[in-house]
Amino acid sequence: MIVSKIRQCVHIAAISNRHNNLTVVEKLGRTTIFSPEGKHFEYAMEAISHAGTVLGVLAKDGVVLAAEKKVTGKLLDLSGAKEGGYGGSGEKIFLLNSNVIGGVAGLTADANSLINYARSAAQQHLLAYNEDIPVELLAQRLCDMKQSYTQYGGLRPFGASLLYAGYDQQYQFQLYHSDPSGNYSGWKATCIGANNGTAQSLLKQEYKDDIEVKAAISLVLKTMSKTMDSTTLGSEKLEFAVITLDPETKLPKAKIYRPDEIDELLQAEGLGKKEEDDAMKS
Amino acid sequence: MSIMEYNGGSVIAMVGKDCVAIASDLRLGNQALGISSNFQKIFPVTDRIYLGLPGLATDVTTLREVFRFRVNMYTIKEEREIEPETFAHLVSSTLYERRFGPYFIEPVMAGLSKVATGGFKPFIAATDLIGCLNFAKDFVVAGTASSKLYGAAEGLWEPDLEPEQLFETISQTMLNAVDRDAYSGWGVVVHVIEKDKITTRTLKGRMD
Amino acid sequence: METSFAITGKDYIIVAADTTAARSIVKMKTDDDKIKVVSPHLLMSYSGEPGDTIQFSEFVERNLRLFHIRNNYSLRPSAAASWIRRSLAQSLRSRKPYSVNLMLSGYDVTTDTPHLFWIDYLGTMTEVPFGAHGYGSYFALSLLDRYHNPEATLEEGIETLKRCIDEVAKRLIVSPGKYIVKVVDKDGTRVIEI
Repeated sequence: MIVSKIRQCVHIAAISNRHNNLTVVEKLGRTTIFSPEGKHFEYAMEAISHAGTVLGVLAKDGVVLAAEKKVTGKLLDLSGAKEGGYGGSGEKIFLLNSNVIGGVAGLTADANSLINYARSAAQQHLLAYNEDIPVELLAQRLCDMKQSYTQYGGLRPFGASLLYAGYDQQYQFQLYHSDPSGNYSGWKATCIGANNGTAQSLLKQEYKDDIEVKAAISLVLKTMSKTMDSTTLGSEKLEFAVITLDPETKLPKAKIYRPDEIDELLQAEGLGKKEEDDAMKS
Repeated sequence: MSIMEYNGGSVIAMVGKDCVAIASDLRLGNQALGISSNFQKIFPVTDRIYLGLPGLATDVTTLREVFRFRVNMYTIKEEREIEPETFAHLVSSTLYERRFGPYFIEPVMAGLSKVATGGFKPFIAATDLIGCLNFAKDFVVAGTASSKLYGAAEGLWEPDLEPEQLFETISQTMLNAVDRDAYSGWGVVVHVIEKDKITTRTLKGRMD
Repeated sequence: METSFAITGKDYIIVAADTTAARSIVKMKTDDDKIKVVSPHLLMSYSGEPGDTIQFSEFVERNLRLFHIRNNYSLRPSAAASWIRRSLAQSLRSRKPYSVNLMLSGYDVTTDTPHLFWIDYLGTMTEVPFGAHGYGSYFALSLLDRYHNPEATLEEGIETLKRCIDEVAKRLIVSPGKYIVKVVDKDGTRVIEI
C-alpha cells in the first residue's frame, strides 16, 4: 500500500542519515533519535544553570521556597504585585493549586507554559476525584508531558526545571524537583538554577531531619544570601513562599509573600538592607 | 415526564439593601420517590457569590464541578476573585457550549459586586438551560416550584429590605411556594450575603 | 425486580442485594453475587441492564486497582465515588450509556468513618445514611426512615435489615428469595449470614 511504502522510504532515509557526516545543526535537528552526547539536555541544562536560583527546604510542619529574580530594575512595573491576592511578581514562584507551590528556573516562556499545564492538570484531578491533587501525582503529570517532548513530535524539550512544594493527606509535606528530561525526584532540600552546587553543599551541611518551618525559613534566607549575586537581600531581588497547615481547618495554606512582607521577614532575620543602603526610597 | 422535573427542586434569589439572599429546598427525588432530604443545590463560588443549580441532579453536580474548575483557573491566573457579572457571563457561555445537548439546569446567582468607590452593589441573575441571561432588579426564581415562587415573591417582596427583613421575606416565599409543589420541599436552606458576613440558616418546614 | 439495600451504623455499613438473575419469566440463577468488592474497604452493589452491570463494575474495580498499584494507596470512598459518578455522567451523553444503578459503601480509613453513596445511571450522587435501589426501595425506605439508628451496633443493624427484607418478601409481587449480605468496616469487607 502507498502509505506503508512512504513510511518505508522515510525509515530508510533516517537510517542512512545517521551514518553520514552531518553538520552539528543537522545532527541535532531531530530530538527523536538518541544522540550519544545527550546534547539536547545539555543545552537545556546550560540555559537553566544561568537562570536565577530557586531553593527549597522541607520541614516537618511545612515547606519553604525562595528564588532570586533576574528581571529587576527601577522601570519594571510591579504595581500588580502589591495588592494582588496571590502575590509573587510572576517570574519565579507560582501557585499551582491550593496545596502546591511551584518554583521555576530556566527559559521563562517555557516555564510559563509548564505552569499553565500544571494548573490545568491540578483542576482536572479535582474534577475527576473531588480532592486536591497529590503533590507527586502533579509532578508526574508534568514529567509525563516533558518526556513526550523528548520522544515524539520532533520538538525541542522544555528549557525549565521546576521545584514543587506541597502538602497532601497521604504523605504530608513534600518537595520534588523535575528537569527537562522528564525525570523527577523527592528531596529534603534542593536547589536549581545558578550557583546550585554551592547552595546544595551549604544545605547538605546545615540541614537537619526534624527541622521546623521557622528554622527552615532562616536556613533558606541564609543560604540565599550566600549564593545570590547581590551583597544584601531585598524584596526587589527575592521571591519567597511557604506552605504550612492551618491548625484549625487542617487544610494546606500556601502563602506567596508580597514584597513588603519579604522585607519584614528579612529585617526579622537580620539580613535586610540597612537604612542608608535603601536605593528604592526616593 | 420532563427531564427538568425528574429530580425536583427549586431556587430563589432576592435583592435587599446592601445585601442579597438565595434559598433552595433540599429535596432529591426519583420522580415521586424521595431519596434524600439533604441534597445541596446552592454552592459558594467566592466569598461574595453564591450559585444555585436547580434541575437534573447529575448535572447539578457536574456543573458545580465545572464552574469550580473554571473559577479556580480564573482566580489563579488573574490573581483576584471573579466579579458577579463576569461569573454570570461565564455561566452563560458554559451553558451555550452545550447548545445542542444542554445541561438540564437553570442556574440562579446572587452576589455583591464591587463598585468603583469601594462599596458593594447587590447583584442577582438567572439563566435558562442554554445560557440566556436575566439580570433582574428584584428577584429571580427557577425549578419545579418556579411559578409558585413568582407568585409568592411578587406579593411579599419590596425594595430596600434590611438583611433580617430580607431573610424573613425570602423564607416565607420559599416555604409557602414549595408546600404547593409536590417535587420541591423536604427542607429549605437560606443564605444571606452581606459585605462582611454570610448567614446560613436551615428552616423548619413541612417534611411531606 | 432487583432489590438492594444498604444501612450505615456506628462504624460499619451493611449491604444486602438479592441473588436472583432473571430473564423474562425465568430465574436463570439463584445465587448471583451483585455486591462487588472494588477495593479493600469499598463495596459496590449494582443493578440494572444485564451485561452493563458486570462491564461497568469490573471497569470500576480495575481502574481503582490501577490507581492503587500506581500510587501505593487506595482512593478514599468519597474520591472513588466522585470518579465513579463522573464516569456515569460522561457515559450518559455518549453513544450508548451504561444503564447501571449503584450503591457505594466504603470505610474511610484516614478519618475512621463509614460513607454510603447512592448513585443512579444518570450520575446522580448523594451521600445517605441508608439507601435502596429497585422496586424494593418503595417499601424499604419508609421503614428505614422509622427504624434506622445511625449509632446502631452491627446486630441491631442486621435486625433493621431483616425488617426491610421481610417487608419486601411480604408485599412485592415477585419477591426475591435469597439475599447476599456483606459488611464493610475498618477491617475491610466480609460476607455475613443473617
